[in-house]
Amino acid sequence: MILAAGANGGPGLQLLLVLGGALFLGTVGARVLRWLRFPQVLGYILIGLVLGESGFAWITSHMIERLSPFNIFALGVIGFMIGGELHRDAFKRFGRQFIIILIAEGVAAFLVVGALAGVVTYLIKPDVQLATAVGLLLGAISAATAPAATIRVLREYKTRGALTQTVFAIVALDDGLALVLFGIASSIAARLLHVSTGGKELTMIAGLLKTGQELLGGVALGAAAGVGLNWLLRRRRDHDRALTYTIGTLALVIGVSARLGFDTILASMALGVMITNLARRRSGSTFEMVERFAPPIYVLFFVLVGAHLHIGAMPTVLWILAGVYVVARSGGKMLGANLGGRLASAPAVVRKYLGMCLFCQGGVAIGLAWMASGRFRDVMLFGDVNLGVAIMTIITATTFIVELVGPPFVKHAAHKSGEAGLDVTEEDLMVSYTVADMVDRSAPSFRRGDPVAVILRTIADTDAETYPVVDGEGKLVGIISLAHLKQSFGAEGLTAWLVAFDLMEPADDTVTETTPLADAVEQMKLEHLDCLPVLSDEADGRFVGVLELRRIDRILSQEILRRRQLAEVST
Amino acid sequence: MTELTEYLTPERVVVLKSVTKADALGELVDVLVATDGGVSAEELIKEVWKREDLMSTGIGNGLAIPHVRMSGIRLAAMVVGVSRAGIDDYESLDKKPVHIIVLIAAPEGAHETYIRMLAKVADVLKEDTLRQAAIEADEPATIHRILTEGKA
Repeated sequence: MILAAGANGGPGLQLLLVLGGALFLGTVGARVLRWLRFPQVLGYILIGLVLGESGFAWITSHMIERLSPFNIFALGVIGFMIGGELHRDAFKRFGRQFIIILIAEGVAAFLVVGALAGVVTYLIKPDVQLATAVGLLLGAISAATAPAATIRVLREYKTRGALTQTVFAIVALDDGLALVLFGIASSIAARLLHVSTGGKELTMIAGLLKTGQELLGGVALGAAAGVGLNWLLRRRRDHDRALTYTIGTLALVIGVSARLGFDTILASMALGVMITNLARRRSGSTFEMVERFAPPIYVLFFVLVGAHLHIGAMPTVLWILAGVYVVARSGGKMLGANLGGRLASAPAVVRKYLGMCLFCQGGVAIGLAWMASGRFRDVMLFGDVNLGVAIMTIITATTFIVELVGPPFVKHAAHKSGEAGLDVTEEDLMVSYTVADMVDRSAPSFRRGDPVAVILRTIADTDAETYPVVDGEGKLVGIISLAHLKQSFGAEGLTAWLVAFDLMEPADDTVTETTPLADAVEQMKLEHLDCLPVLSDEADGRFVGVLELRRIDRILSQEILRRRQLAEVST
Repeated sequence: MTELTEYLTPERVVVLKSVTKADALGELVDVLVATDGGVSAEELIKEVWKREDLMSTGIGNGLAIPHVRMSGIRLAAMVVGVSRAGIDDYESLDKKPVHIIVLIAAPEGAHETYIRMLAKVADVLKEDTLRQAAIEADEPATIHRILTEGKA
C-alpha cells in the first residue's frame, strides 16, 4: 500500500512528509518552549498551530481526520502509562492519607470547576443539559495535574518533607483519577446531549446502562487483555517480541473498545494497571520499553492537536470560561487539599500549601480535551463554536496560563512550608561555604626548631597526614607529610639532631580562608591531596589551620543529616 | 670505598684556619661558592645560620653537620673542613669541641638526596678511628682519601 502510494506520489507520501516534518519541527518547538521554561507539550502544540490551518495550512483538517486513529492510539499509550503508575505498592507506600487527599483534591476541583463552569455557561446560554455537560467535562479534566513543572520547581529548591512527599504522590496518581472522572463525565455528557445515539433520547435507566457499559466494558476489556498479555510476556522473554506483543495488545484493546463503544482510555489504563500489578518486576521493563517507544507518538499527537486548533479568534465567551476554569480549578484544588488534609489528619504544611502545588496542567488534560473535541464536535455551544472545539480551546489556553502562574505558587509553597533547602547534596551545601567554615584551627603543627622526638610524639598522638611547619611569627614555612617522613628515617642516628626545619618540604599548595570551599576541594582532588594548609587572607599570609577532606566530609554529612531530621519532623 | 665518594671532591676538603664557629662556617661556605657558584656567599651563610639558630648542628664526638637546602644550589654537594685544634664555640650536643665540619647543601626540591647525604655522613663518621685519622691528617688530599676510601 505504502509502496503503491509512494510510486504515485499520492496522498500517502504527502502524509509521511507531514509526519516527518511534524516530528522534527515539533521537537524544535519543544526545545524553544523548554528554554522559556514551559512544558514541551506546549511547544508541540505551538508548532502544530503554525503548521495547521491557523498557520500555513500544511497540515490540513483532512489529514488530521485521516490520522485520528493514530491520535486515539497515542491517548491509549498515555492511558497505559498512567495505569502503569497505579501499582498496589504505590498505594501501600503512599498510604491511606495520600489516597484521601488525592480523592479530595481531585473531586473538589471537579465539583468546583463543574459547578462554576456550568453556572456561567447557563448564564450565557440557558440550556441545562449543555451547561451540565460543559461543567462535567471541564470539571473532570481539571482533576489532572502535570507533574513536570511542579517537580522541577521542588527539585530546584531542594525541598524535602511532608509537603514534598505528598506532592510527589498526588501528581503521580491524580492523572488516573482524572481519567476515571473524565470517563464518567464524558459518558454522562454524551447521554445528556444525545451524542452517539443518533440524537435519540434514552430513558434514564437506558442512559445509565449505556454509561455503565462504556466504562465497565472498557475496564473489563483492558483487564482481560492484561491477563492475556501477561501470559504472553511470561512465556516470551526477549525484548523485541515483548514490545511487539505489548503494542499489539494495546492497539487491539483500543480498536475493540472503539468498535464496541467502550471508553478507550479507561481500557488502556486498565491494561496498564493489570500488567503492573500482575508482574511487578517484569512489567518495569515493559513500561520502560513503551516509554522509549512513545516519544515520537506523543510529539506527533500534540502537534496534530495544535494543528487542529483554531486559535485565531477565540470568542470572548471562551475567554470567560477559561478564566472561570483557572480560578475555580485553583480554588477547588486548594479547598480539596485542605479538606482532604484535615480528613487524613495530615500535617499543617500539607493542608496549607498542597493545593497551590497542584496548579500545573499539561499533556493529560490536553489529551482528554482532544478526546472531548472528537466526541462533542456536533454539539453547538455558542454561535458556530461547537462544544468539542470549545473544550479543546479552553484547556489549551488555560494550560498556557497555569503553566505560567503555577510554578511561582509552587515556589511560594516550598519556601513558606520551610521545606526548601532541606534536600541538599554535599555539592549543593559546599557552594554555601568558604574554607574559613571548615578549617581545623587546632590542627597540630610544628615550629621550625622542633626536634624529631617532638615530631614523632605528636604524630603518634594525632591522626593527620600532613603537619604544617611555622616560623616564630606564625608564618607557614613548609609541611611535613607522613609519606615524606618515612624516607627520612632510612638511616638511624639522625633522629637525635634533626629538627622540623630539616624534614619539611616546601608548601606549594595552600588556600586562604576566603577561598570558596568548592574551589579548595577541587584543588585537593586535582592534586590528590588529603589536606591543605590554610593561610589568613591578609597580606602577611599567617598560618591559620588545616583544611582536611575527611573533616569536610564529616561536617557536610552532619549538616545533611540535620536537615533531613528537620524534614522528618515535619512529616 | 665509602658512600661519600659520590658527593665529595678533593677540592672541597680543607684544613680549617679558623678557630671560631662563625669563621669556620664562613670558610666552608666560601669553598662551596667557589666550586658551585649558583648562590652567593652571603645568601648561603644566611641560610646556614638560620638552621644553626634553631638548634646547633654539632652532633657530638667532634663532628658537626651544618646543612642547608635552598633554591640557588645547582647540585647537592658537601664541603669538609678539619681543625686539629678544635672549635670550642660550636655548642655541640656533647659540649665538646668540634674537629670535623661537614657542610651539606642541596637544592630546594632534593629532600630525599639531602636526607640521604646527612645519614651517610653521620654513618661514615661514626667510626672513631676514621675520624681520628682524618683529624690527624695534615693534607686535604689525605683527608679526602680517608673519607672516601673509609680506611685510616
